[in-house]
Amino acid sequence: MNDSPPFSSGSAPSAPRRLWRSLEELQDAPDLQAWLDAEFPNIARAGSMDRRSWLRLVGASLALAGLPACSGEGAVGDPPLLSPPEHLPGHVPGTPLFVATSLELAGLGRGVLVKTQEGRPFKIEGNPLHPASLGATDVWAQAEVLSLYDPDRSRTPLQQGAERTWEDAERLLATMRTELAFGRGKGWRFLLPQTASPTLDRLVAAMRQGFPEARWHRPAPLAPSGAQAGAISAFGRAVDLVPDLTQADLVLTLGGDIFLFEPGHIRLAADWQARRRNREKPLPRLVAVESTPSLAGARADQRIPLRPRLVEGFAHALWAGLAQNAVPAEAHPAVATLLAELRRAGPRAVVLAGREQPAAVHALALAINAHLGAFGTTVHAIEPVVAPTPPEEDLPALAEAITAGEVSGLVILGANPAYDAPADLDFGRLVRRVPLSVHLGFGRDETAAASTWHLPKCHPLESFGDLRAFDGIVGFRQPACVRLVPSLSPEELLANLLGQAPDGRELLAATWAEQWGADFDIRFTRALEDGVVEGSAAPRIPVALRPDWSPAPRPPLPPAELDILFSLDPSLWDGSYANNAWLQELPKPLTKQVWGNAALIAPETAAARGLSTGDLIEVIAGERRVAAPVWLLPGHAPDTVTLPLGYGRESAGAVGWRVGFDAYLLRTAADPWITSGTLTPLGSQVELISTQHHHALPGHAVFRIVSADRPDAGGPPAKLPSLYPEWRYEGHAWGMSIDLDACIGCNACVIACQAENNVMVVGPEEVARGREMHWLRIDRYHGGAPENPDTFFQPVLCMHCEKAPCEVVCPVNATVHSAEGLNDMVYNRCVGTRTCSNNCPYKVRRFNFFDYSSAELAPPDDALNPHVTIRERGVMEKCTYCIQRIWTARTQANVENRPIRDGEIVTACQQACPTQAFRFGDVNDENSAVSRLKREPRDYAMLGELNTQPRTTYLARIAPTGENGG
Amino acid sequence: MSSQAQAFTTPLAEAPLNSRFGLAWRLALLASLLLVGLLVLTLGASIFWGVGLWGVNIPFVWGFDLINYAWWVGVANGASLFAAILVLRQHDLRTAVNRFAEAIALFGVICAGLFPIVHLGRPWLFYWVFPYPATYHVWPQFRSTLTWDFWAISTHVILTSLLWYIGLIPDLATLRDRARRPRVQKFYGFFALGWRNSVRHWVHHQAAHRLVAILILPLILIMQSTVAFEFASTLIPAWHDTRLPLHFVATGLVQGLAAVLLVAWLLRWGLRLEPFIDDRDVDLLSWLVLASALVTGFLYLDEAAAALLAEPMQTTAFLNRVFGDYAAFYWMAVLCCVLAPQILWWKRARRSVLLGVILGLSVSAGVWLDRFSIIVGGFQRDYLPSMWRSYSPTWTEAGLLVGTIGLFAALLLLFARTLPAVSMFESRHDEHEDRA
Repeated sequence: MNDSPPFSSGSAPSAPRRLWRSLEELQDAPDLQAWLDAEFPNIARAGSMDRRSWLRLVGASLALAGLPACSGEGAVGDPPLLSPPEHLPGHVPGTPLFVATSLELAGLGRGVLVKTQEGRPFKIEGNPLHPASLGATDVWAQAEVLSLYDPDRSRTPLQQGAERTWEDAERLLATMRTELAFGRGKGWRFLLPQTASPTLDRLVAAMRQGFPEARWHRPAPLAPSGAQAGAISAFGRAVDLVPDLTQADLVLTLGGDIFLFEPGHIRLAADWQARRRNREKPLPRLVAVESTPSLAGARADQRIPLRPRLVEGFAHALWAGLAQNAVPAEAHPAVATLLAELRRAGPRAVVLAGREQPAAVHALALAINAHLGAFGTTVHAIEPVVAPTPPEEDLPALAEAITAGEVSGLVILGANPAYDAPADLDFGRLVRRVPLSVHLGFGRDETAAASTWHLPKCHPLESFGDLRAFDGIVGFRQPACVRLVPSLSPEELLANLLGQAPDGRELLAATWAEQWGADFDIRFTRALEDGVVEGSAAPRIPVALRPDWSPAPRPPLPPAELDILFSLDPSLWDGSYANNAWLQELPKPLTKQVWGNAALIAPETAAARGLSTGDLIEVIAGERRVAAPVWLLPGHAPDTVTLPLGYGRESAGAVGWRVGFDAYLLRTAADPWITSGTLTPLGSQVELISTQHHHALPGHAVFRIVSADRPDAGGPPAKLPSLYPEWRYEGHAWGMSIDLDACIGCNACVIACQAENNVMVVGPEEVARGREMHWLRIDRYHGGAPENPDTFFQPVLCMHCEKAPCEVVCPVNATVHSAEGLNDMVYNRCVGTRTCSNNCPYKVRRFNFFDYSSAELAPPDDALNPHVTIRERGVMEKCTYCIQRIWTARTQANVENRPIRDGEIVTACQQACPTQAFRFGDVNDENSAVSRLKREPRDYAMLGELNTQPRTTYLARIAPTGENGG
Repeated sequence: MSSQAQAFTTPLAEAPLNSRFGLAWRLALLASLLLVGLLVLTLGASIFWGVGLWGVNIPFVWGFDLINYAWWVGVANGASLFAAILVLRQHDLRTAVNRFAEAIALFGVICAGLFPIVHLGRPWLFYWVFPYPATYHVWPQFRSTLTWDFWAISTHVILTSLLWYIGLIPDLATLRDRARRPRVQKFYGFFALGWRNSVRHWVHHQAAHRLVAILILPLILIMQSTVAFEFASTLIPAWHDTRLPLHFVATGLVQGLAAVLLVAWLLRWGLRLEPFIDDRDVDLLSWLVLASALVTGFLYLDEAAAALLAEPMQTTAFLNRVFGDYAAFYWMAVLCCVLAPQILWWKRARRSVLLGVILGLSVSAGVWLDRFSIIVGGFQRDYLPSMWRSYSPTWTEAGLLVGTIGLFAALLLLFARTLPAVSMFESRHDEHEDRA
């Protein structure tokens, strides 16, 4: 930070922290304008882009807005908008402000609200107005706030690995502008991953127009490439599907994971649960055909594990049965019953193929949907939100051009192809062959190391932009804080190359001013406030099966010993989150593995090869090979190995460096998701870290399953005698209900709890010792045969027992019952005997065995929630029911002189949950939502027979219905 | 007091007053001080960095800390019990063994007392379990077994040191009188509390000595039961059992008797004390060890029967202790505490120095393994299978165990160096009676 350019005095953390209501406003601050005009008169001249003014704008951007407040002139005229909290009308100092913005995942947006205080974001919630969120989040959105403060993020420009100032960088960009203009872009290549951003698209179009000789490459490494090809084959045009699961009676998934990896996964989970909760209709059915066990498979009423190569045949048999009434003789036994179900559900059925499936499977799925008449009820077609990448714009074409020596300059915007490009392209080596390569990246990643120049990219929470969601709705991205380091967004870099002011807000405004004309001001402000652009949903387009379409004749499959499937990782996604300690330490939903990945195989396949979990194997595909430890995952398809992507980063930062193995090393351009190969045991073992071993369902006492017709979980346990008198509650008595039928195991609550409550990361060694700190864990149990088990998820947090066993055993009264029934933990009274954890049958208490809060992996202070105490070494901690949120609501109610309303207090886990599995409220109030849920016959207390009388009770899961259910 | 009697105890008094004490003693002290150094190191590290240096985790929140604690309490209790009974019965054996037995008890309880403090997450706040007038009027939680434990262990320290110290007073006065250097004289004189050997003094002394000895007797039951309550009163299926205090008392008894047998053999063999500890005494001790081993065996059977008839969770937990990951500890405990002492049925075994020493060590080790099996093995099967994990100790924990053994040995050696190892006034008393 010390050698940052002069303008950085405003953007450095030493700048006074200020609150603002809406960031877009503050740029209009007259004081700021006046100050800028005086200091940087060049900016006033449109299009003039001399070096210094550019620099000042880029680096300072919003940060400069803090300066008027320092000038002492704020007393005269209008108050500065970026003002101390006490000057902000209506704002009470110390209370958080929310900024609505959008976060990207695989090129699509999810709307979020960023909770900030004193100018720093510390928590991310879903945006209830955004269709891809509905107020819920996923683990990646939650974890962005930690990435923002990543100490390993790129802070200065680099040239050949040596630090350079921004002035050097501007000299480089000036040269680039000249060269681009001189040769109209000849010899230049731009690499920008596909994102559904209208502003970026506008700037790219402008670049294409301005420098027609330059070539653009817009790869979409995670795009469901088969989906577009399948749509073109079946309908004659590319479309995106928007499922509406609230209308579905039967959902059949072919691969993929609609609850975790597919576009709109949060919305799909929410819709599915909304459909299940609709009591006017019989329970819907979810059938999952898949190779790798997924969250959708775990939740499915019927799960059919199949090798990847057999999925197409399965879909084909379904199509043949539906369209031609002729089921092939060799078809899977489940096809017949499934056919009957599909016919019965008709237009209320939907078939969804996963992103890893080939075009043929997608085409078959679309054909079945069209045949059933599902389009219009359970699924809609829209124009592709992310435009399909033509082959000449894909990475292999770029690789060819570099090899042919046609590329003199390469600009990589935000991508990390040296890590995640297909292995056969050997992209890192190719980048090094380009005479001038400029990389804009958030971290000093593998591509930064390979490029001649690297420029720091700003975090999404620091810049303006826009993003379409999976259904086409546009959400605006806007900064929630000043730039913590001088950096550029891709939009700003493109603008600079175009000779425009690199002002993110202006660039965004320019895109929408064209469309909105006179209404611009109102609509723009509105969109920034809401986070979504009203009425921007993509129109539904009618689709019809091409009359001449028939499923591609199935080529005879070459025999293969082993199918290899690449999958996204439930913690690290594609690897871009590798340096996020929250996600590294997040137990994966099914394996509960942390700090690493493993090659997932079926137990019977492992047994046939004499392998057990932790054995090192070498997976060989063609000439490529990668060494990986195996993990025996019940329910995995036989003779198949799943390689989760995202690990084995060589240059990710201190947290993500060389954790796990890199599955990209086997992934080729031709077979990005499914390939075949062999495996050889290497004869050695490594220790894999996980927080839970595989356990069968412990009887019916802990996790209860009821039938849909008789949803009786056994009711509350009989009144047991106790030596201690019952507690009496005059006012509130807080309680929680957790719906096990709704929990999909997505982990959003786990990270939400971690972010909200300053739960520390302890690192792989400590987790291996059994000392992870998560206040909320999701217990995973299996039932049935290991070939295809049922999977059950149960979130477990402090039960806040009425007769709390922890309270009576603490020698120093450090854990006590509150007047509202909470089991309070008094951190500064705790001496750390740990006997409360001993006596807790739920094992939800977590102990600071070391001083985790000041250890290496502890988040920077700025990322911590200012409303929650940091716990010191030797102190026990646990879930508090988000007591800080209870008190915030109480204060608000007191100020307004009214009682606390039901639903006013929302715990962090509850707020993050896509399926609304959590419900918190006053159990003293008979009419509260939580009281009503606790009166349901499905309600039961875990380990109630111990007479702990837990405040948190569960709603039993409803057993699968229909054919092959159970 | 005749001059012959004075002369009889002269060697006992001369030992602490002599400035030289032999090479073997120095070497032994050096070795044990090295272990004390290890203890200081591991204690210091545990306090500085935290109990994270141990193998403890969730759910295994306790490991060697509580095992060692329960074990040292057993050593202390056994020796106290033995010493108190000898004092009360005015048994001849007391002359030779009592001082040592009392010292063993005191040093054992010191070693035990270290663990409840160092095992805390914030050990510097240990005094919060004490009901002192705090500004915020916060009191300890009297329902907590850990609070009971605080009272039990402090009572134990007080009573054991009283028993030891009261027994020492007349001898301290003798040492004061015989000391040649003024500084040494002052040292012993301070602790002799102005003892003038008057009959009045003797009357009070005898009354006090016996009173404390009587108080020791129930303390043994209370102390062991309180340790057991720390486990039995929790919800952990393997622990939640009313028979646990009985188990701790009985295994503590066999442990204490075996420790005394060990010391008796070592004294008799090392200090040539055959005249004081004769074959009949050793025989008697051996029979006692055998009998208590049989009681322990019966209790193991009782435990199995009770667990198998109990609720399923308890049965699972017991079966896991016996056949699970830590089964070896359970079976080794059975072997060392119950089966090994059966050799004492043979007369030759009861007369063998080597076997006596081995047996003493074996039972001590067996009880340690029993505590491990209960504490660590008990954690392994809790109510929620999702939290079924395992525990493995670290070098720091092992260092604490070995270090306290070193501390114990060092204290014993220093005791032998500075104080008469055998009660002088009792020996004189015996001598008088023999002459009379």
